[in-house]
Amino acid sequence: MRIRSTFAASVTLGAVALLTTGCLSSGGGGGGGNSNTSKNIEIMYAFTTDQETGFKGEVNKWAKDNGVTVKFTQSSDFNSLINTRVQGNDAPDVALFPQPGIMKDMADQGLLADLSDIVDKSDLDSLIQGAVETGQVNGKQYAIPMSINVKSIVFYPKKAAAAAGLTQPPQTLDDLMALSKKIASTGTTPWCFGIESGAATGWPATDWVENLMLINNGSDVYNQWVQHKIPFNDPKVAETLDQMDQLLLADGMTNGGRKSIASNNFNTAANPMFDNPPGCYMYRQGNFVAKSGGFPDKVLADLDNTVGVFPMPGKTAEDKPVLGGGDLAGIFSQDNQSAKDLVKFLASKDYGTNGYAKTGAWISPRTDFDTSQYPTQVLGSIATFAYESTEFVFDGSDQMPGEVGSGSFWKDMTAWISGQEDAKTALDNIESSWPS
Amino acid sequence: MSGTQAVTATPVQVPKQPTATGSRRSRRLQHDPTARSPLWVRIVLALICAAWVIPTFGLAVTSFRQEDDAQTTGWWTIFTTPANFTRLTFQNYSDVFSQANMGDAFINSLAITIPATVIPILIAAFAGYAFSFMSFPGRDLLLILIVGLLVVPTQVALVPLLKFYGTIGLNGTLPAVWLTHIGFGMPLAVYIIRNYMATLPKEVIESAKIDGASHFQTFWRLILPMSTPVLASFAIFQFLWVWNDLLNALIFAGQNTPLTVALVRLLGQEGQGWQLLTAGGLFTMIVPIVVFLSLQRYFVRGLTAGSVKG
Amino acid sequence: MIKILNALIAVVGGVAGAILLYWLLNKLAELLPGRWEDRVKPYLFLLPALAAIGLYLVYPTIQTFVYSFANNRSTEFVGFENYAKLLTSKTFQNTLFNTFLWILIVPASVIAFGLLIATLADRLRPRGEKTAKTLIFLPLAIGAVSAGAIWKFVYATRPPGQNQIGLLNGIWTAFGGDPVNWLQISTLRFNSLLLMVMLLWMQAGFAMVLLSAAIKGVPTETLEAARLDGAGEGSIFFRIVIPQIRTTIITVFITVLIGVLKTFDIVYVMTNGNFNTNVIAVDFFNQLFTNRNNGFAAAIVVMLLIIMIPVLVFQVRQFRAEEAAR
Repeated sequence: MRIRSTFAASVTLGAVALLTTGCLSSGGGGGGGNSNTSKNIEIMYAFTTDQETGFKGEVNKWAKDNGVTVKFTQSSDFNSLINTRVQGNDAPDVALFPQPGIMKDMADQGLLADLSDIVDKSDLDSLIQGAVETGQVNGKQYAIPMSINVKSIVFYPKKAAAAAGLTQPPQTLDDLMALSKKIASTGTTPWCFGIESGAATGWPATDWVENLMLINNGSDVYNQWVQHKIPFNDPKVAETLDQMDQLLLADGMTNGGRKSIASNNFNTAANPMFDNPPGCYMYRQGNFVAKSGGFPDKVLADLDNTVGVFPMPGKTAEDKPVLGGGDLAGIFSQDNQSAKDLVKFLASKDYGTNGYAKTGAWISPRTDFDTSQYPTQVLGSIATFAYESTEFVFDGSDQMPGEVGSGSFWKDMTAWISGQEDAKTALDNIESSWPS
Repeated sequence: MSGTQAVTATPVQVPKQPTATGSRRSRRLQHDPTARSPLWVRIVLALICAAWVIPTFGLAVTSFRQEDDAQTTGWWTIFTTPANFTRLTFQNYSDVFSQANMGDAFINSLAITIPATVIPILIAAFAGYAFSFMSFPGRDLLLILIVGLLVVPTQVALVPLLKFYGTIGLNGTLPAVWLTHIGFGMPLAVYIIRNYMATLPKEVIESAKIDGASHFQTFWRLILPMSTPVLASFAIFQFLWVWNDLLNALIFAGQNTPLTVALVRLLGQEGQGWQLLTAGGLFTMIVPIVVFLSLQRYFVRGLTAGSVKG
Repeated sequence: MIKILNALIAVVGGVAGAILLYWLLNKLAELLPGRWEDRVKPYLFLLPALAAIGLYLVYPTIQTFVYSFANNRSTEFVGFENYAKLLTSKTFQNTLFNTFLWILIVPASVIAFGLLIATLADRLRPRGEKTAKTLIFLPLAIGAVSAGAIWKFVYATRPPGQNQIGLLNGIWTAFGGDPVNWLQISTLRFNSLLLMVMLLWMQAGFAMVLLSAAIKGVPTETLEAARLDGAGEGSIFFRIVIPQIRTTIITVFITVLIGVLKTFDIVYVMTNGNFNTNVIAVDFFNQLFTNRNNGFAAAIVVMLLIIMIPVLVFQVRQFRAEEAAR
């Protein structure tokens, strides 16, 4: 048979090739970047539009003053691209990681420079401590925050909410629960809630779970949970879901009812707040919904007068935990002076004062940043929540392995909220999906 | 990497004049060509056509609607609520260019698609010639290898190529993308061109040989001109495939994002809104649709090419 | 603009370079003594094409095979661990199951639709036929990503109480139904079926064109004879037309099947494999880039390759049969 001999030939061919190409990667690798003295550096980041324009303006001014040429590489598929480039020995000099997970991985592989001695101690101390800690691996500082976002914000329609009884921001989680029930008793649903986000549907639900986990248990337990040092389906998580059930999913608590949540887009879920009469009074979401595509344009045009914000309260009035995120700057070119200088600048007091903050597209991670620089009071208040926080943690799902953090966690929370799974099944499923 | 890359896997048995979509019709199954077809046939077909067209039509309509309208009412309401009709706008198109960089993406798409389409043609034509008109040991084996490779999912090649490009510093560049497309498209190119050439009359070659023409001359003067239809149809094939490709672009293009990648971003987690997606989607479709409609005849001939038994 | 210029330079340079290369290769062969010239020349003509195929398909396939036995960063061999872990994971079993559903359902329904349209359109007058076929063929040019944008507006859902902006829910609620989150219904893999509809939408035109050409090739005499014998249109279609165009049907089937196995963009764009819609090609991408596990990714594509082997064997056999008949 001709075919058989063909197969025999290909098998032999394959075997020979196997022997010759059987080598594997030597590990490590990466590196790249420029030589020590180069004044040309490349910086890679994921943010876009206004945030990018403002960033370029700020850095270009610094670059001009210091005689450095900066190449800006934007990638919305940051994680794929940085991975590709590192595998190909072509890492940028400086990277602004949108999620800590991949940064930690690369630090672990020895690809990133230790910034402990590069960034001034006084600057490090001025940054939000929780965000600084997120940049640490094995006690060393591999990345520093250069922008943050805040996720534990509750937005409300100022005038209507006052009429409904929201005169003073709740001080504790119990207060919040009481307020919600009070509003619900008047026949209007207190909460807006939507978790639809196309292929990423479910992530806003994970933010809620993370936020309540943080409030209930504090950052230590929260971090253990995120790092899988306690199981995903720990009783503490089950309690949190139970709480969420009472606060959001019970009858009369969410606009449109439980069934609508999974099909309600997170960007526009808050819009019924601005109807007359409002369909709901409170929406917990990140600062990024207060932009075009989120809140209606007429609300954005008069933000300070229409929208109020308060932080998700702590367990007691003294606790002020904040859930957020941010971009972390790390250096691939371990010895390049210009790269070091740039990161130093990003941590400094001056960074962002040259018009960047005024765009409203960026929030400084420095607690001593002048909040009057922000274009709206709403944004100033949001920044203040972060600066005055007692604990600041990063979005947990971003730090979990991809199978969980952008897989089963989204999926099973959606299934739970839409009533396809009970809470226990959902948590057990997520736990079993955690890669060993 | 979806089904778009229609590969004529095995030779097709079709009549000598592969009827282009409804062009000249020589035979029909029944009925007089000028007679009206039964009503039910026309109704069923009209329904199918409507089902095929309406989704695209909806996208087209939405792309001219204002953001708030698109978010709050269905596109079909412009026909039921005249007020919605009067509020149509070109805003989305200007936004999609200013905010999503569609202009750059368009240029990137062209810069990837043109080399990826043109360069492989000559290479494949030479190989097709060798397979059709020259005899040498191992010919069948090599040909079978190529037929087999038509089936191999190109995903298999991505990681090693990523590493290979990495070592030579090609990742994230436009050539990385179009070179990859050339490599991946080569088996199909060789295969359909060879199938077509095999149907060309052998006598032509023989008489050229007698006249003292070398293979090289025969190829350039005779075979290449005679093969224009199949070369054109492969080009259209490859063009549509590369233009619409997402996977290779995602992996190799880096920040040189072509239209497909730019469009996917608009669909993403914090996408800037549907109204931009619609304008971007429609804009992405324009070039392939124009190419397709104007060259449809060749395309169809390409699908059925080379398998004709005289 | 510079990019366009570069692209044009690449095209001109690439083509000119190729011509020069072949000319050189040809000259090189001509330097050889007569008999050797003829022996070597075919290989020289084939060289560039084979080099491209070797570099882009053969070598990487072998390398991937090797990686599939190594760990997530491809630094250490782990034997069959990747395969064992994947095959025992419930998630991956689901992914495989979905992939098999796509294989079972899509090629068959594409052919059924293609036949239906081809047969019906054949009975229209020429202009009608051309219009109908063009409309149905067009999605093939659109591409899966744009198709994703299009179909978002078919499957979109808004919460009850709000206006629906998706066509399907628009119709559904007009008949009094509650809005349905179409792409999240994984009962009986309903959402996967909806994604398959998209591929059907894109590919039916392709099947229609080939099948239509084949149907027109059935000799009129055969049909007339059958009609004289009193056969009905139905039995003519199933007893005479279908057997006559068998080869074309097989071709279309295999072509669509290959497309189905590689299906990536539809699922990636619409659900990213969430809600139980994952298929093998999307899982590969996510293992590679989201989970950054080279070992799993490689093992997944090797399994995809294994699924392809029967098709490959069939393909080669078919080809040899054709060649023998030529």
